[in-house]
Amino acid sequence: MFNWDNKNVIKSLLLIGLFGFSQAGLTKDTGYYGYGKSATQEEIAAWDIDVRPDGKGLPVGSGSVSYGEELYEAKCALCHGAFGEGEGRWPKLAGGFDTLTDAKPEKTVGSYWPYASTLWDYIHRAMPFTAPQSLSVDETYALTAYVLYLNDIIDDEDFVLSKDNFTEIEMPNKDGFFVDPRPDVKNPACMENCKDPATIKVTSAIKGITPLQHIAKEEGANDKASSDSEDQQPKSADQVAVDNELKVGSAIYSQSCSICHGSGIAGAPKFGDKMAWAPRIKQGVEQLNKHAIEGYSGKTGIMPAKGGNPSLTDAEVSAAILYMIENSQ
Amino acid sequence: MSEDSTQSRRQFLQKTALGGAFAGSFSLPILANADKLELPDNLPHWMRVPGADFSNYGQPSSHEQQIIRWISANPDALGNGVSWTPLHALQGTITPNGLHFERHHNGVPQIDPTQHILLIDGLVDRPLSFDVKSLMRYPMVSRTCFIECGGNSNSGWRSNPIQSQAGYAHGLVSNAEWTGIPLKLLLEEAGIKPSAKWVIAEGADAAALNISIPIEKLLDDALLALYQNGERLRPENGYPMRLVLPGWEGVLNVKWLRQLRLSEQPAMTRDETSQYTDLLADGKARQFSFINEAKSLITTPSLGMMLPDNPGIYQISGLAWSGRGKIARVEISTDGGDSWVDAELQGPILDKAFTRFNLAWKWQGEYAILQSRATDDSGYVQPTREALITNRGKHGFFHYNAIISWEITEEGDINHVYGF
Repeated sequence: MFNWDNKNVIKSLLLIGLFGFSQAGLTKDTGYYGYGKSATQEEIAAWDIDVRPDGKGLPVGSGSVSYGEELYEAKCALCHGAFGEGEGRWPKLAGGFDTLTDAKPEKTVGSYWPYASTLWDYIHRAMPFTAPQSLSVDETYALTAYVLYLNDIIDDEDFVLSKDNFTEIEMPNKDGFFVDPRPDVKNPACMENCKDPATIKVTSAIKGITPLQHIAKEEGANDKASSDSEDQQPKSADQVAVDNELKVGSAIYSQSCSICHGSGIAGAPKFGDKMAWAPRIKQGVEQLNKHAIEGYSGKTGIMPAKGGNPSLTDAEVSAAILYMIENSQ
Repeated sequence: MSEDSTQSRRQFLQKTALGGAFAGSFSLPILANADKLELPDNLPHWMRVPGADFSNYGQPSSHEQQIIRWISANPDALGNGVSWTPLHALQGTITPNGLHFERHHNGVPQIDPTQHILLIDGLVDRPLSFDVKSLMRYPMVSRTCFIECGGNSNSGWRSNPIQSQAGYAHGLVSNAEWTGIPLKLLLEEAGIKPSAKWVIAEGADAAALNISIPIEKLLDDALLALYQNGERLRPENGYPMRLVLPGWEGVLNVKWLRQLRLSEQPAMTRDETSQYTDLLADGKARQFSFINEAKSLITTPSLGMMLPDNPGIYQISGLAWSGRGKIARVEISTDGGDSWVDAELQGPILDKAFTRFNLAWKWQGEYAILQSRATDDSGYVQPTREALITNRGKHGFFHYNAIISWEITEEGDINHVYGF
């Protein structure tokens, strides 16, 4: 009996797997197995919130740029900045035009996003971050209009965005995307004598870019490379200790500090910015450690305790500060 | 032996037993020197007292508490960010459920499974809704595969090599056995209309994350997963149900799945336009990348470890995976990519799953750069960082799969470097 049941299950799986759904096998109006329920119109309507580039899914409604500005200041500016410039790690919403080929491209709604529908859809389903799906349809139209206005995609501050005129909006980067044609990068998978050891260079967070002299020497392949090898003077115990601390500091910096100190956001003194660091270094390392470990509110910004990462030890925070100072004076 | 020395040895053993992590290793030398006539004193403390009680749900040893996911979240919004699997501290190929990487767009929803509905609608013959109980009745299959975030290893795009441990820079990838219902079966319950080319999936989190998936993938090998490594999904991995799309980037494996809407066109959601797209040097961006291309990572030795013996024999060990199929080959270089030798692949080698590789290496104190290079059964070879950047520029941000280099200094220290 058990075997017979098993075979039947396998047979029906095979039928579905190989031949697709067969009408002849349909035993219920909810499918072959039929364990689900027919979805009600109410369910379908409640789940139907997505909005497409062709305007499909947009509900009836409208909102003006000026109403959007009011809403934006109340609900969005805290994170995204008064002009959409982004605060902390929150995304920048506006600007960045013609920067996509720059050394530091700025991907914003205006410079990067290909469709306005994405903006409407995302605001409506996921924003504000602390109260998603709390915005009405009209509020969503208004906020979408205002963010487009911040990006100069809408010029007129009296503009009213609605279901009827929505698809007329054209985003500057609408032709900026194409389907990834990967695989795109080849590797011939060489096994022997793949590189001239003298030409191998190594980028290190600690030493910068250096030729790979040690290996050149090992291989005995290039006398010139080994002859101008690094100064091999032995280091003092103190120097070794400092080197080790810098190494730890570099790791912690990358992991936890570079988010703010790398770009100088939220008033953080920027890594390598001697002008910004000089007055702070003057206060003494002890004071800097104290502020970083316990947190600090100053005129230019806020340093959260341990950069907002309480899992760091005091020693790790101090090491990161040492690393930043070493590279900013 | 005098009574005093026996007494002090007993005290030492007790102290070290209480001392935690190092008890075992510290007590060993004493055992080696001990007088054989005093056997009872040689017994470790835990053999002299009854052990701990049973537990309803087992936890790792208290000596392994440092093996954790590293959390990198937005300090202003702790539910937005990632946590990294400590790949450098794990062995084998299966990621324990509590260490599977996380990427949340707005926190982990605390879902009551009795209130959760999955809707299949759009271009179907019969729109259907399923509760968890009804789904549990469907035939299920298990498969082991990795899931990798499209943003894994993205520090590799930076000009300076990040000094983080292997898993904390490359551990937005994990490997588990997922059990669930083939998506093909569920879609066919609803009846697929011929015009349906895409499926828009939506999660029941506070981001209501939505994303478009070509229907062919769902009809091929995708699962609606209900179980992870034998137990029900963890909340942070999609409880009560998630999509698992073997070999396709993490964001498509929608957690807390609440809707599959069949459509002619992709929805062009935020996470397939503004995010998870690769900006190239010419200002154009690649979209719909989907596949995680072949990649490998040496987990031992790696940054944060040291080579204690010089000379010494070391087991180089690591993980390789490919979203296109099985790993066919992994080679190791210890000289910055000048010469390569094959590593041994540990079986079973599964499709779109972690494969562990091993190679014994005799180190004689020389400066070395360790690299691994994976090839999958489609013939695709993991690229060098130089080739990747030459092709894609410096601002791809996502989908970084270049060869990873560990520098071994003459002192046996290990650093992350870029070799080229």
